[in-house]
Amino acid sequence: MVQRLRASVITTPTASLINMVGIAVVVVAVVAAAQRIHQQGATYFFQTMGFGLAEGAIFALVALGYTMVYGIIELINFAHGDVFTLGAFFSLALMPTLGLTEGKISGAALILPLLGLFIVTMLFCALVNVVIERVAYRPLRRAPRLAPLITAIGMSALLEGVMNVWRGPFNLHYPDFLPEYQIPLGGDVTISAKAVTVIVVAVVLMVALTLFVNRSKLGKAMRATAQDRDAAQLMGIDINRTISATFFIGAALAGAGGIIYGLYYNSVQAFDGFQYGLYAFTAAVFGGIGNIPGAALGGMLIGIIFAISDGYFSVAWTQVLIFAILIFVLVFRPTGLLGMRVPEK
Amino acid sequence: MVRARGLAVLIVATFAAFACGGSGGGSTNKGTIDIGSDLPTSGADASSGLPTQYGAAFAVSQAGSVKGFTLKFVPYDDAVNGKHDPTKGAQNVQQMISDTKLLGMVGPFNSGVAAAEIPVANQAPLAMISPSNTNECLTLAFDYCQKYAGYTAASLRPTGKNNYFRVAANDTFQGPAMADYAADTLGLKTVAVWDDQEPFGLGVANNFAKEFTKKGGTVVARQGFDTSTKPDFHAWLNRAKAAGAQAIYAGATSASYGCIPRQESQGIFDPNSYYLGPDGIGDGQCIKDSGTTMGNDHMYATQGVADANANASAAATIAAYKKAHPSPDDTAAYTFAGYDCAAILIDAIGRAIDANGGNMPTRQQVIDQMAKTSNFPGLTGTYTLNAAGDPTTPALQVQQYKAGAWTTVKNIAVTV
Repeated sequence: MVQRLRASVITTPTASLINMVGIAVVVVAVVAAAQRIHQQGATYFFQTMGFGLAEGAIFALVALGYTMVYGIIELINFAHGDVFTLGAFFSLALMPTLGLTEGKISGAALILPLLGLFIVTMLFCALVNVVIERVAYRPLRRAPRLAPLITAIGMSALLEGVMNVWRGPFNLHYPDFLPEYQIPLGGDVTISAKAVTVIVVAVVLMVALTLFVNRSKLGKAMRATAQDRDAAQLMGIDINRTISATFFIGAALAGAGGIIYGLYYNSVQAFDGFQYGLYAFTAAVFGGIGNIPGAALGGMLIGIIFAISDGYFSVAWTQVLIFAILIFVLVFRPTGLLGMRVPEK
Repeated sequence: MVRARGLAVLIVATFAAFACGGSGGGSTNKGTIDIGSDLPTSGADASSGLPTQYGAAFAVSQAGSVKGFTLKFVPYDDAVNGKHDPTKGAQNVQQMISDTKLLGMVGPFNSGVAAAEIPVANQAPLAMISPSNTNECLTLAFDYCQKYAGYTAASLRPTGKNNYFRVAANDTFQGPAMADYAADTLGLKTVAVWDDQEPFGLGVANNFAKEFTKKGGTVVARQGFDTSTKPDFHAWLNRAKAAGAQAIYAGATSASYGCIPRQESQGIFDPNSYYLGPDGIGDGQCIKDSGTTMGNDHMYATQGVADANANASAAATIAAYKKAHPSPDDTAAYTFAGYDCAAILIDAIGRAIDANGGNMPTRQQVIDQMAKTSNFPGLTGTYTLNAAGDPTTPALQVQQYKAGAWTTVKNIAVTV
C-alpha cells in the first residue's frame, strides 16, 4: 500500500513537476526563515523556541487523542478538542474542593493537590469520552463513514453548548499556580519555569503512553485492532473493550492537556477547543495519522512553526502557513512524517 | 399583519389625540411611544452593554411620559454566543422598525454593529443615538475609510439623509488622547501596538500610532491578530520586547481578548510596564483576564465620554441611579452616556410632538428635531449635535485602574 502510494506520487510527469515546485517552496521558506533568525541573534531564537515548545507540547497532547482514535476506528473525532476544553472547565470547578485557591497556596504545598487535580480531571474526561463513544459512535460503527463524522461534529457542538450554558461565554480566568521565575540557560537566554513545567508534564505523559501501547497487553490489543479489526477479533480480542480503552486513554491525555493549557495561558473559554482541535488534528496528520510518536512530533513542530511565524514574520501568516503545511503534507507525503505503516483496510 | 396592527394602533392613537383636543397638556394619556435600545447584553460584552442599557432604561423610567404620551422602553440584545453580532443587530433594527410606536433607538454599542444597522435604520428612517460608537468613519468622510473600515459615512446612508447620532468622541480623538497621555504624562518613547482586526480596534490603533509618532515616539512593533479565536500572544510579545517596546497599546476590546496579552506578557515584560488601550478594555472583564501577577495599576484606558461624577449637577441623578442599581457591576463607563442618549431622544420626541401640533410625530420629524439638539444638559456633558451626527464638543477621559476600580485621572475636552 505504501509502496503503491509512493509510486503514484513520484512517477507521473505532472506529479514530479509538483514535487519540484513543492521542494522549491520549502527551500525558499527555510532560507527566508534562516535569514531572519540569523539577523535577530541566538537569544531571541531560543526564547521563541521556548514559547513554541510549550505551545507544541499542548498541541501534541491533544493530537495523541486524535491519532489514537483515528488509528483504531478511522474516525476524526471532532469532539476531542472539546473534551480538552472540558478538562480545563472541570478542573476549574474542582479547584476549590482541593484547596487550590490562587494566591493562597504555592511551592511544595501545590504538588499533592495538583496531582489530585490531574488524576480526577483525567478520569472524568476519560469517562465522558467513553460514554460519548458508547452513545454516539458505537451504534454507527458499521454505518457509512460520513455518519459518525457528522455525529462527531454534533458532539463537539453539544459539548461547547453545555460548557457555554454552564459557565457562560466569558473568558474565564484560570488560576496561576506555576512558578514565575526565569531559568537561565547560559548567556542572556532564559526560559520560563512555566514553559518548562508544561513541556515536562507533556513529555512524561507521552512517554508513558508510548510505553503503555508498546509494552502492555492492552496496548498490544489496541495495535492489533488498529491493524485489522476482524483478525484481532478472531484472535480473541474484545474489540469493544479495546476501542473503549482507546477513547479512555485519549481523553485522559486531553483532560491533562486542558489543565496544562489553563495553567499556561491562565484563561479558558467554552469555544477554545474547536480551533485547538483543528491545529491538533493538523499536527496528527503532519506526524502521520494513526502514529503515536508522529502525533507528538507533529504537535511540537506545529508549535515551533507557530512561534517562528509569530516571532519572525507576521501573525497574519501563521494560520496560512499551518494549513498550507497540512495541504503540503497531504499532497507529498500522505502518510505524514513518521507514518510508514499504513494498515490495509 | 404586524404592520396592519401597528397602523391600527397608530390610527387609534391619532383619534385619541384628536379626542383629547391636544389641549390637556402633559397629563392626558394620548397613547404609548416606544424607545428601543440595541446593546450587547449577554455574554462577554454584557459587562459593558448591560450597565449602558440600565442607564437608558433609567432615563426612560424617570421621564415616564412625554407631552401626554406614555414612554415604554423596549431593549434588544445584539449578542450571539456572547459576542456582539452585526447581523443580529440589523435584525433587531428591522424588528424595531416594524413596531410603529417606536420612534427612536439608543445604540448600538459597537462600531461594527453600527455599520450594519445604520443602512437599515436609514431607509425606515429611524433615529439612532449611540452612547459609545467611536469609529470616525460612521459619521465623517476620510479618504482611508473605504480601505480600512470597509464603508464610508455616505455608503451607510442610502437615502443621503442622516438619521444617526452619537454622544461619544470618535476615534480621531480617543487614540490620540491616549498617545498624548503616553508621551506627555507617562513619558513613554517606544510602544508596541496590536489590534483585533475589527473596525473599532484597527481604527483606534492606527490613530494612536499616528499621534504617538507625531509626538516623537516610535511604534516599534505593529501587529493585527485574528481574534475570531483566541490567539497565542507570547511570541509576538517577546518580539515586541526585543524590539525595545516599553509599553503595549491594545486596539481591542475585552470581548476580542484585549487584556489576555497583559497576562501573557508575564515573564517577558516588567510587571510595572504600562498597558494602554481604548474604552473597550476599560471594564471588569479586562482586569479578570489580566490576572494578578502583572501590575494592574499600570493599566490605562480612554473613555469616549466625560466622567459624569465631575459634573456637579448630575450628582442627584447619579445617586438615584445607584440607589436603583446598587451593584458596582451595574455602573460602567457608558452607563450615564446611555442615560444621556435616551434623554436626548426623549427631548427630541417632545419637540417633534410640539411641532406636530401635539400629535404623534413621524419618525422623520423626530430625526429632524434630533439634528436640532442644542446645549442639551446631560449628565456626561452639554450636547449640541451637528449635521453629521457628532457632538460638537466631545469630551474624553483617561482612566487608570487603581484600588480596585477604573478611576478617572484626566478629563479632556475637545472642540470640533
